[in-house]
Amino acid sequence: MKKSRGIGDGQTPSHDPSRRRFLKGVGIAGAGAAVADRLWIDGEATESDAQAKGPRALSGTVPVVLDINGQKKTVQVEPRTTLLNTLRNHLEPPITGAKLVCDMGTCGSCTVVLDGKPVYSCLILAVDAVGKQITTVEGLGTPEKLNAVQNAFVEHDALMCGFCTPGFVTTISAYLKKNPNPTLAEVREACKGNFCRCGTYPRVFEAALAAAKAGANS
Amino acid sequence: MPQQQPSPSPTPAKKKKVRVPRVVNGVEQMVEIEVDDVGGPGWGPNDKHAVLNHRMTRVDGALKVSGAARYTHDIRLPNMLYGRILRCPHAHARLKTFDSSAASKIAGVKSVIQTPLKEFRFAGSPVAAVAAITPEIAQDAVRAIVVEYEVLPHVVRADDAIKAGAPKVVEEESNLQQKGKQGDPQKADAAFKDCDAIIEAEYRTPRIHHACLETHGMVVDYSGGDSAIIYASTQGTFTIPGDAAEALGLPQSAVTATVQHMGGGFGSKFGIGIEGLLACKLSKETKAPVKLLLTRYDEFVMAGNRSGSWQKMKAGVKKDGTIAALQATQYRLGGLGGGSQAGQPYVYRVADFYREVYALHTNEDSSIAMRAPGHPQASFAMESLVDELAYKIGMDPVAFRKKNLRDEAYHRQLDRAARAIGWERRNSTPGGGAGPLKRGIGCAVGTWGGGGNDQCKVDVTVSRDGSVVVAVGTQDLGTGTRTFTRAIVAEELGLQVPDVVDQIGNSKLGSANPSGGSTTAASLAPSVKDAAYKARMAVAEKIAALFGNPKPEEIVFTDGKVTGAGNSMTWTQVCAALPPAGITVRGEWRSDLQARGVHGVSFAEVEVDVETGKVRPIKMVQVQDCGLPLNRLTMESQVNGGMIQSLGMALWEGRVMDADLGLQLNPSFMDYKLAGSLEIPEMVPIIDDDDKREVVIGMAEACIIPSLGALANAVFNACGVRVRDLPITPDKILMALNGRKAA
Repeated sequence: MKKSRGIGDGQTPSHDPSRRRFLKGVGIAGAGAAVADRLWIDGEATESDAQAKGPRALSGTVPVVLDINGQKKTVQVEPRTTLLNTLRNHLEPPITGAKLVCDMGTCGSCTVVLDGKPVYSCLILAVDAVGKQITTVEGLGTPEKLNAVQNAFVEHDALMCGFCTPGFVTTISAYLKKNPNPTLAEVREACKGNFCRCGTYPRVFEAALAAAKAGANS
Repeated sequence: MPQQQPSPSPTPAKKKKVRVPRVVNGVEQMVEIEVDDVGGPGWGPNDKHAVLNHRMTRVDGALKVSGAARYTHDIRLPNMLYGRILRCPHAHARLKTFDSSAASKIAGVKSVIQTPLKEFRFAGSPVAAVAAITPEIAQDAVRAIVVEYEVLPHVVRADDAIKAGAPKVVEEESNLQQKGKQGDPQKADAAFKDCDAIIEAEYRTPRIHHACLETHGMVVDYSGGDSAIIYASTQGTFTIPGDAAEALGLPQSAVTATVQHMGGGFGSKFGIGIEGLLACKLSKETKAPVKLLLTRYDEFVMAGNRSGSWQKMKAGVKKDGTIAALQATQYRLGGLGGGSQAGQPYVYRVADFYREVYALHTNEDSSIAMRAPGHPQASFAMESLVDELAYKIGMDPVAFRKKNLRDEAYHRQLDRAARAIGWERRNSTPGGGAGPLKRGIGCAVGTWGGGGNDQCKVDVTVSRDGSVVVAVGTQDLGTGTRTFTRAIVAEELGLQVPDVVDQIGNSKLGSANPSGGSTTAASLAPSVKDAAYKARMAVAEKIAALFGNPKPEEIVFTDGKVTGAGNSMTWTQVCAALPPAGITVRGEWRSDLQARGVHGVSFAEVEVDVETGKVRPIKMVQVQDCGLPLNRLTMESQVNGGMIQSLGMALWEGRVMDADLGLQLNPSFMDYKLAGSLEIPEMVPIIDDDDKREVVIGMAEACIIPSLGALANAVFNACGVRVRDLPITPDKILMALNGRKAA
């Protein structure tokens, strides 16, 4: 007979060294300590509290000001909340272009552009995105006015179910700013951090090259 | 939503009986139904279409590339709670005690419920569910539940499960259940005597995960009132309301299911599912909307999978290339489920064959339908075996296939694909050539049904301002359903795709079949065509006076113009003459506009590094027919997608279980390897335009089937050793090469 908890946290890989994974695991007591230098904790939770009373479930949120698609947004979240979950679950109105798929930095569906660099928003805490420019797929173009990459994705049918598409679009849009005339090999390399299950890769490559040709930055 | 009025049907139509596929949980079964034997125009020659059979970009493309498309995962409602599931950590266990007191005390936790299960037969089996104000707190609550289990013996490997004395997956039942047999065992056995060469081999495929990027789940919009809306990530809009209503204690008429965009299903998303039932129960208890979407880990361990296979085959061939005898013992490895596997000798003609089919159970979650259930497994084994026979008697594998395939379609497709890949470039001696990098080419064929049924009721409304709406409750899985639905109406009315608007994905609209078995196109397209034709006739009738009352069928709708009795007006001008409410008609299915039976062949070129065992796919070609290609652009995408998923199964994918612990070792994208951008070869999807059938046939599932065999055969042609156990990983190639040298 064994006594055990469920495997509810089974998706946490023991080999993932990311700071966010660590913070997510320890809850707010640890997170509070980690971010105390910058943030005021809404509630009683402090490191000394946690030590004085022993391990216990704490709760509390902090106000975070994020610069998203050119707009300053204030949102109240627990420090352990990822940027992805903040966009999707806490902002009003929600920003849902970035998708939650693996929640552990393997698939790229949650990619946003942070200060010009494509990043996995499931691996970044909202509190760590403070003071940075965040661009989501919504900030790249709208259905009425698509950017060159988005337009090329539609023209080349570089999407099927479309769930990975925002991740590819943000990744490639950011990449073409850095390298406006990539080779096919460079495009493959640029989006190796993004998975597609429907199998749109050949057309994603076509679309990226076509967008580059059309002048992705024009 | 406007009330739709079905058109009054004219004189009672003649009836005829047809056999059609019905999809139950993604698996098709044939039934006989009676349909109206009505007229109405056919599709016409495949190369004479104004809109269809062209390259149309998908109508929801702009929404999807800009993040504006709202998926079930994107729904957020006021006061919505987040659900999470606690899963059993043992492969086989009985519940002893359950303590959720600590979980319930966490601030923000609103409900903790237990599943009715007391015995858990796989690791990941749902034990309880919680609802909380954020997903993070819901996860805290799941962690805070303390469960005591009595751990029972388990078995997770097929080879162990079949042994005498193996732990039983279900008490009082054998792990091995016979599911069928066909052929004459004595005749098949005797036929081997006349054969010039015999191959006996075992083939295995692992369990494969659908790995839908949008996990299973739903948002239940219910706050204790007398109605509910279910946002579901589903392949069957109409498979949701009944079960949801029952779980919520509401009449079915009070429950609406909706799915506007869907992040992948591949056969795994029919019905409400355990996660849907738990979401409804949590919502009912808290009187608040609940969003319960599986985590990625949940998705791996409890959302179903393609059954594995273990096939023991023996086949005999004559010198002229005729396969004369075959025996097969086929085990379907579906965990708790029965699994699926097409019967051998698959599409090949073998004079004397005998097969026995078994389900072999293990302590794993039940397999469910996955894109062409049972076919990739059977095709891989048979195509490998066919290849082995061809090489054994020294016959060209393409010629050998033609010798044993009855259907002419395969013959032309094999020739076409052989030209496209450069079949003559294949390694003349498998494993031959200098240097460690060996290239080879292989081929294989596949088949699928793809016929429709009579479940789709489609309404077309034309308004006085000329706007056109086509409405039906069907769902678009990313297959392009929306786009061809609009296109059929546009073509019939002489308009363009942007001139038509669709309403789909809602159970309050006209009924539609679930999208399984590639039955959507062949079910929906005829009903849309019928509705569009009736709309054209209804408009013509109402506006005939503008042209001096010619017969409605003499009025021509083309290029946005309407022409009658030598006069021409624009579409907008004539629609102004419609009654104030415009016209609405309802289309029904017509069996003569569809058929079943598609063919496809795949050729693959690979490079094998015989020093490392690594396989690099170089080029893949697939030729696929489907009768009338509704949209060439999206059809090619489907063929690409089929090839890529097949590539994953051939080289990388597969669930890995720990036999001692009974746990899955690779339940994440970190360890379950999907095809990525660096591994994609040059891909050539070819639509078989020599298929002149003027009917719609579903093809999306067909294109996942043959590439497994083509890739495995290419590996053999490259390096001279055959790996009969998928995926073809470097260790297996090195072991085989090593074994060959030792021998």
